[in-house]
Amino acid sequence: MRRTGTPSWLSTRRGEPALSGRGDDVAVTPPSVARIWAVGGGKGGIGKSFLVANLATVAARSGRRVILIDADLGGANLHTCLGVRAGERVSLSDYFEDRVADLDKVAIETPIPGLRLILGALGHTGKAETTQEQRAQLLRAVRRLPADLVIFDLAAGTDRSTIDFFLEADDGFVVTTPEPTAIENAYSFLRAAFYRRLASALNESNVRELIRVAMDQRNERGIRTPGDLLLAIEQIDRGEAERFRRVLESFRPHLVVNQVRDTEEVKMGFSITSVCKKYFGIDIDYAGYICFDDNVWRSVKDRRPLVLAYPTSDGALYVRRIVKKLLGA
Amino acid sequence: MVRPLAEQSYYELLEAAPEGTPQQIERAYRIARATYAPSSTAVYSVFSADECAAILRRIEEAWAVLSDARLRREYDARLRRSEPRPGVPTTPAPPVATLTRERERERERPPAPAPPLRPAAHEADLDASIAPDNGIFDGDVLRRIRVSLGIELEEISATTKINDNHLRAIEGNHYELLPPPVYLRGFLKQYAKCLSLDPNHVADSYTARMRESSARRG
Repeated sequence: MRRTGTPSWLSTRRGEPALSGRGDDVAVTPPSVARIWAVGGGKGGIGKSFLVANLATVAARSGRRVILIDADLGGANLHTCLGVRAGERVSLSDYFEDRVADLDKVAIETPIPGLRLILGALGHTGKAETTQEQRAQLLRAVRRLPADLVIFDLAAGTDRSTIDFFLEADDGFVVTTPEPTAIENAYSFLRAAFYRRLASALNESNVRELIRVAMDQRNERGIRTPGDLLLAIEQIDRGEAERFRRVLESFRPHLVVNQVRDTEEVKMGFSITSVCKKYFGIDIDYAGYICFDDNVWRSVKDRRPLVLAYPTSDGALYVRRIVKKLLGA
Repeated sequence: MVRPLAEQSYYELLEAAPEGTPQQIERAYRIARATYAPSSTAVYSVFSADECAAILRRIEEAWAVLSDARLRREYDARLRRSEPRPGVPTTPAPPVATLTRERERERERPPAPAPPLRPAAHEADLDASIAPDNGIFDGDVLRRIRVSLGIELEEISATTKINDNHLRAIEGNHYELLPPPVYLRGFLKQYAKCLSLDPNHVADSYTARMRESSARRG
C-alpha cells in the first residue's frame, strides 16, 4: 500500500531525532526489512483477528520471523486466538506511555515458534485512541523490528489511526463476509482509505478542500465518484490531477471474503472487485476467501489457530493459499 | 486508470480477457450480470438503481456481441487494428445493433479502444491460489477449483450435458457411482475444459488416483 503518497504525518517525521528522548528514536531509521501487512475491514466480528492469527501462524511455520500487533486498542483480543493470556503483561500502552522504550521488548512470545505478539492496550489504561505523533513513532519503530513480517490487526471502523496504519502497510487487507452490512462497511473502509491517501498525496489547498467536500457523498458539488472528483481537479490543477491518477494506480488493497458458504458467495469477491473498479477506478486484488467451516469456531474456542488445530480443514487450506499467494512458498 | 463506462471496450465491461474462451466469456458475463442485478448485495450501497441499470445495459450489449462468434471476430479485428494514441480520445465500443452498419464505415472511424492486456481477475486467480501443489486432481481438488472460479455444478452440466449425479460422483470421489472408464475419461476431460484445466492431465490424474484407491481396497 505504501507506494506513493505516504501520509503527511509520517513522511515529515521519518528519520527525525526523538521527540521524547526514547532510545528507539535516536538513530536515523535504517532501511526497512520487515514487510508490513495490515488487516482491516470496517465491520466488527467478521474474522479479522482469526485471519491475522492464522496468516501469521502459517508464515511463522514457513520459517519467517513474524510479529503481530494488536492495534484494536479498544477491543484487543488477538492474544486469545493464539492461546496467550494477556493478564498484566507488557502491552502497547506501556510503549505509548513511555514505560518501555524499545518496541522489540514489548513483543512477547507465543506458543508458536517464530511468532511474537504485541498486545493491544486493553486492561491497562483503557485508552483506545492514539495521537498522530504516537502512531508515527510506532511506525518508525515497527520498521526497525527484527522480523520478516509484521501484521497489524486493525480495529473495526474507519477512525484515523486505523486508516493510517492501513495506508502505511506494504499490503493492506480488507476483510468482509458475504453479508450486506459487512460489504457496506468494507466499501466505507475503502472509501475512507482512498480519500485519505488522496488527501495526503495532493498538495494544493483548494484541491484538498475539494477532496474534503467529496468525502461527503451528499455534497453540493455533485461529486459522487472518484471519477467525478478527478474531472473537478483537472479544472483546477492538471499537475494535481496527474498525481491523482498515480494514487489510483498505486492503491491496490487485497480483498478476503470470510465465511463463504457456497459458489454464489465466492463470486461476491469478484463482484466487489468489479464494483471497486467501476466505482472507484481502483484495481483490488481478490486475495482469496475462507469457506465457512465449523472447525473455525472450534479452533477459536480451543484458543488455537485453525491451521494448527485443524490443519486439513478447508478453512486452513484457504488460509495457506492466501499466504502462498502473497509471500510465495 | 479505468475509463468511463461509455468508453470501455466490451472486454473491459465484462472484465474478461480478450483471448478468453467462449466459456470464460460466458462466465465473466454471468458474474457481471449477477453483480449489477437489482437484487445484488455487492452494489446496493454504492450504485443507484439507475446506475446499475445503465451498467447492465452495457453488459448485455457486450454479451450480445462477444457471445456470437462472427460478431466477436469482427469486433476483435477492429480492436486489433487500433492502438491507443496518447492524447487522442478513444471511441466507445459500438452498440450491437449498429455493428453491421458500422463495419461498412469502419475505415473512416477513429480507432476503438485497446483491450486490457492482463487476464480477468477470475481467470488469474487459478494459478496462484488453488491449483494443487502436487499436480494431483481428485474430486476434492476439482470441486475446490470449480467453487473458487464461481462456477455452479449446474453450469457445467448445462454446458457438457453430463448428468448432475455423475458430476457429483466425480467431485465426491464416489468411484462406485461413476460410469465405465471409457465414458468417465470423456466426462473428466469435458469437466476440465470448463475449468480451463488441461483435459488430459486431469483425466490421467483422476483415473490414476481412482485405480490406486481400487487397488488398496483389493
